[in-house]
Amino acid sequence: MIDLAIDLLLGAQNEDGGWGSVRGKRSNTESTSFALMALKSLEGKPFNQQTVAGLNWLRQRQKNDGSWSLNDAAKESSWTTPIAVLALLPFQDQSEHVLRAAKWILTQEGRKPSWVASLLVRLSLVKKMTELDPYLSGWSWSAGAFSWVEPTSYSLMALKKLKRSLDGTNCEERIRQGEMLIYDRMCENGGWNYGNSRVLGEALWPYPDVTAVALIALQDRAASEANQTSLRALDGMIREAASGTALSWGILCLTLYNQDVREWKKILVENFEKTRFLGETKALALALLAFGNGASLFRV
Amino acid sequence: MMNRREFIKVSALASLSSLVGCRPSVYWDRDAYRKTATSRVAILEAKSYQAPLQEIIRRGIHLFKLDLKGKRIVLKPNLVEFDPKGVINTHPSVIEAAIGSFRSLGAREVVVAEGPGHRRDSEYLLTASGIYDVINEHRVPYVDLNTDDVRRTKLRSSFTNLSELYLPETLFNADLLVSMPKLKTHHWAGVTLSLKNMFGVVPGSVYGWPKNALHWAGIHGSILDINSSLPIPQFAIVDGIVGMEGNGPLQGQAKQSGVLILGDDLVAVDATAARLMTIEPRKIEYLEVADRFLGNISHERIELVGERLERFQQNYRVIENFQELKVLTG
Repeated sequence: MIDLAIDLLLGAQNEDGGWGSVRGKRSNTESTSFALMALKSLEGKPFNQQTVAGLNWLRQRQKNDGSWSLNDAAKESSWTTPIAVLALLPFQDQSEHVLRAAKWILTQEGRKPSWVASLLVRLSLVKKMTELDPYLSGWSWSAGAFSWVEPTSYSLMALKKLKRSLDGTNCEERIRQGEMLIYDRMCENGGWNYGNSRVLGEALWPYPDVTAVALIALQDRAASEANQTSLRALDGMIREAASGTALSWGILCLTLYNQDVREWKKILVENFEKTRFLGETKALALALLAFGNGASLFRV
Repeated sequence: MMNRREFIKVSALASLSSLVGCRPSVYWDRDAYRKTATSRVAILEAKSYQAPLQEIIRRGIHLFKLDLKGKRIVLKPNLVEFDPKGVINTHPSVIEAAIGSFRSLGAREVVVAEGPGHRRDSEYLLTASGIYDVINEHRVPYVDLNTDDVRRTKLRSSFTNLSELYLPETLFNADLLVSMPKLKTHHWAGVTLSLKNMFGVVPGSVYGWPKNALHWAGIHGSILDINSSLPIPQFAIVDGIVGMEGNGPLQGQAKQSGVLILGDDLVAVDATAARLMTIEPRKIEYLEVADRFLGNISHERIELVGERLERFQQNYRVIENFQELKVLTG
């Protein structure tokens, strides 16, 4: 699987040095970042040329405010910024870029309800649709939107890795708030979906990929009951949702929590034979990270 | 007569609207106007997913004299989420039948495309729902609209304050977009049919999962702005063989209806589908507004072909907040 996945990944690199979501699509920050992480985790193999081209693509697209946009067509600062940080961090010469990005991340905050909406909710004039705490502060997918689990998790990973370099900022407080938000959104029996545990009184179910990403962001709280419950839930979820993305994130997460992942790696190979992960750059890159030593890139 | 609780609610919302600021008096551009004098909607019996669906859908498409020769068709099913015990998604058999129908009618290429609104993991959704087997067997390309290349697009109406939206390039490179929703009630919008299904064309990579920016902008307004601004003509095939009632779009109960609803006026299709569920289309905010410029919802302006509506009309339960939708007025 590894050789073919590498071939597919390298074959999808665009002439500009970046990667799109699948072969032939415009280069974007998320796909390029995960591809670069995968190549880094395969160190010892001769991918220097491809890595340099990818790094150049990423570096050149960092905006003056420190953020990255999604791609060259959607130029607004985006949720992909902490993922670019995670990709650049293993390359030691990138510290200036990542610190600028981290400071931008600290300026971002998911939207909270306006005072009018708060008043309506508090007076119960609007039926309570969800049971989450809308006043907790995390990170959103797009500017001016609500905070959700996945973008908050990526930001936490980046900030936790960089917090020693962010003295004199509100980094610790933002991390604390972000963690509170993620725990607030946990599903009934552990794990996370995009960020709603209940709607109209009915419990919603968790997703394996988001659960793994959240647990990775919370890995420094591994012993907590919520983490342990979610870890057990993750095991059941990846058994059911055996996609490349779910399995790979699951393996990366379980590795960081010192679990045995040999069985999951076998299933990952079997799944690759069936679907080739639809040729998705991110899924291929995650699989290579999961199969090799990629978990270390997500250690906070 | 409005009771006290309703009065307070309406007053609060009115105050809220005034705080938002002035609204334009004209909400849509001239080129967004698509309403015709009359519209045609086909109601076709399909007792189960084992019925000869390709034959039924092909017959239905024929009723609309679509020019499909050499055209690129994008099928947009509803694949928002998956629950092995539920009936959330457009059934793979209906998608398979649509692929065969459009190909047999001369389409150059048929593509299946969706941008799931909750889950990012397309591989899981496709394999778990059975759609992967269909597209694999028939060698049909699948485009994840969430991660497709995007193009910034000026909106042709202004029911939200968005003014522009990013839309997937796949839409700009096709000739016909076929909305293939499930016949479902919806706990926020009342119903989710071919117009609401278009939320799935909005790229998650820009707007996130869920597509929360649209919810903040207002669900009804977003449905109108997206549908008024699609760059290519549309057609609808509603999977009403087994629908969903109650707490849709995810956690409702299955409802056997044995019907497919087709048409080239998505507003008329949705109004008809709502009536099939004994839901008054004029009480669905976005349908009532869409009737002014995007299509027809009046009985008198919709020519029904195929089966009689009454034959398939059933009481689809709605959540408590939407009980007022259940009083049919026409």
